[in-house]
Amino acid sequence: MRHEQHLYPCGLRVMNLNKAHFLLFYLTMTAAIASGLAIFSSASTITVLFRSAAEGLFVPLLLSLIAAFLLDPLVNSLEKRHIPRTRAIFSVFFMISATMLLLGSWLVPYGQNMWGSLLSDFPRYTSQLINYLREAQVSWQSRFPVLAQYDLTNTVRTTAEQVLSFVLVQTPKSALKLGSLMILLPIFSFFFLRDGTTIMRGMISLAPNRYFEMAHDLSFLVSRQMAHFVRGRVIEAAIIGLVVALGLSLTDIRYAPLLGLFAGVTNLIPYIGPIVGMIPGILIAAVDLGLGGQFWWIVILYILIAQVILDNFILIPVLISRVANLHPVLVILAIVMGGKLYGVLGMIIGVPIASAFKIAFTEIRHYRRAFALPDTGNERHSSS
Amino acid sequence: MNSLWESIFRSKTEEETLSGFLAKIPVFSELGKRDLNYLENLVHVRNYKAQETVFEQGDPGSGLYIIRSGGVTIFTRDGHDHEEELTTLGPGDFFGETTLASPAPRTVSARTTESSELLGLFRSDLLATSDKHPEIANRILFGLTKMISERMQTATLQLRNMQQRLADRDAS
Repeated sequence: MRHEQHLYPCGLRVMNLNKAHFLLFYLTMTAAIASGLAIFSSASTITVLFRSAAEGLFVPLLLSLIAAFLLDPLVNSLEKRHIPRTRAIFSVFFMISATMLLLGSWLVPYGQNMWGSLLSDFPRYTSQLINYLREAQVSWQSRFPVLAQYDLTNTVRTTAEQVLSFVLVQTPKSALKLGSLMILLPIFSFFFLRDGTTIMRGMISLAPNRYFEMAHDLSFLVSRQMAHFVRGRVIEAAIIGLVVALGLSLTDIRYAPLLGLFAGVTNLIPYIGPIVGMIPGILIAAVDLGLGGQFWWIVILYILIAQVILDNFILIPVLISRVANLHPVLVILAIVMGGKLYGVLGMIIGVPIASAFKIAFTEIRHYRRAFALPDTGNERHSSS
Repeated sequence: MNSLWESIFRSKTEEETLSGFLAKIPVFSELGKRDLNYLENLVHVRNYKAQETVFEQGDPGSGLYIIRSGGVTIFTRDGHDHEEELTTLGPGDFFGETTLASPAPRTVSARTTESSELLGLFRSDLLATSDKHPEIANRILFGLTKMISERMQTATLQLRNMQQRLADRDAS
C-alpha cells in the first residue's frame, strides 16, 4: 500500500513532466537534427565558399610578400637611422608612389600608343610567321610525305587568332584586376613589412617547448634564404630587361621597351623563360628589319650578351645562391602545374614557389647535417 | 576594498614587469630603459611543466635561457645513460650562453625541476637586432662578453690551480 502511495505521486510527476517537456524535447531534437543536417550538407559548401572567397587573394598576397621582401632592406636602413619602423615604411611608400606618379605621367601615353600600334601590328607579324611556316611546311612535306596530313600552318594561324582575341578581351579585365591589386598590394605589403616578424614569432611560438628552439632557428635561416632569393631574382630580371631594352633601342626595331619588359619578366623562369622571351623580339626583327646586320645584332644581344655573358657569368653567380637551383625536370613540372592552376601568371610564379620549397628543404637538411641530429632519443643515448 | 578590486586596479610594479625583471640580470646592466623595452619584445617567454626537458646534450644550440621563475637542473649523460648533475639554477640565473654567438651542439642537458617560466634569447633575434639597432645589440653583446670573459678567467685560474696541484703531487 505504502509502495503504491509512493509510486502514485511520482508517476503523476512523470506525467506532468511529459506534458511540459515533451514539446520542448521534440522541438530541441528537431532543431538538433535540422542543424546537424544543415551542417552536414553545407560542410562541402563551406570549403567551396572559402575557396571562392579566397580565390582572388592568392596573387595579391604573394606579390605583396615579394614587395615586402624587396623593401625590407630599405626600411631597415631607415630604421637604423633612428626612424620608427612605421614612419620608415610610410616614407618608403611615399617615395615609391611619388616616383611612380612621375614616371607614370610620362610613360602612360607613350605606353598606350605603343600598345595600340602593337595590337594593329600583331596580325602582320603573325601572317609573316605563317608565310615562313608555309614555305617550311612545303619543303618538309616534299621530304617526308608521312607528314602531309599534318597542317602546321593552319594550327599556328588559329592559335595566333585565338591569342589576339584573348589579349583584346583580357586587357580590360586585367586592368580591372590591376585596380584592385593597386589597393590591396600596398595595404598587405605595409602590414607584412611592419608586423612580419611579429606574425612569424606568433606562429613559431605555437611549437612545443622541445622543438621551439629548432623551429625558431630554422625559420630564421629559411626566411633569410628566401629573402635573398626573391631579391636576387627580381633584381636579375630588372637588369636583364633593362639591358635588352637598351640594346634593342640601339637598332631600328620598334617596341624596344616592351620587348625589354617581356624579356625581363620571362627571365624569372629558368631555362624556358629566356627562350620564350627572345621569340617576339627575333620575330619582329625578322619581319621589320629583314635578315640583315641588325637582325644578327639582335640575336647576339638576346643570346650572347643578355643570357650567356650577363646572366650566366655575372648575375647568377653574384645574386642567386646555389641553394635555389632547380632540376630542369622540376622547372618544367612547376611551369605546367602553375599554368594549370593560375594561367600565365601561374607559369611565372610556379618556379619561384617550387624554389621556395627547395630552399626550405635544403636548409632543414643542411641544419640536420651540421648538427648531426640523431633521429630518436634512443639512438642518441647509445651513440653518446 | 576587498582583494578582488585591489587586484584589478593595482598596476604592475617595476619588479613584476618583464623589463623590470631583465634590468636586474647582471648581463643586461648596461641597458637603458628603452633598450630594456626592446629586449622585452626580443626574448621569447616559454612556460615549462615540472620535469620537462629544455634541451638535450647534442641538440643544436642557438641561444641562452634565463630563468624567470622555477628551477632548472643542468646535467650530463655518460655512455651508460647515467646522469651526473652539475648544478641547479634558480630565478635570475641563465644557462646555454656559449651557443649564443656561434652555433654548436649543446654540451649539457637541461631539465626543469618544477613548473618554470624561461626567457629564451636566441642568436637569430640578436642578428636581426644588430642589423636594425646596432647600438642595442652592441650593449647586449658587451654585457654577454663581459660575463663570458669573467667566467673564462675564473676557469683559467682554476685550471692553473689544478695544474699546480698536480705538479706538486707528482713532485712529492
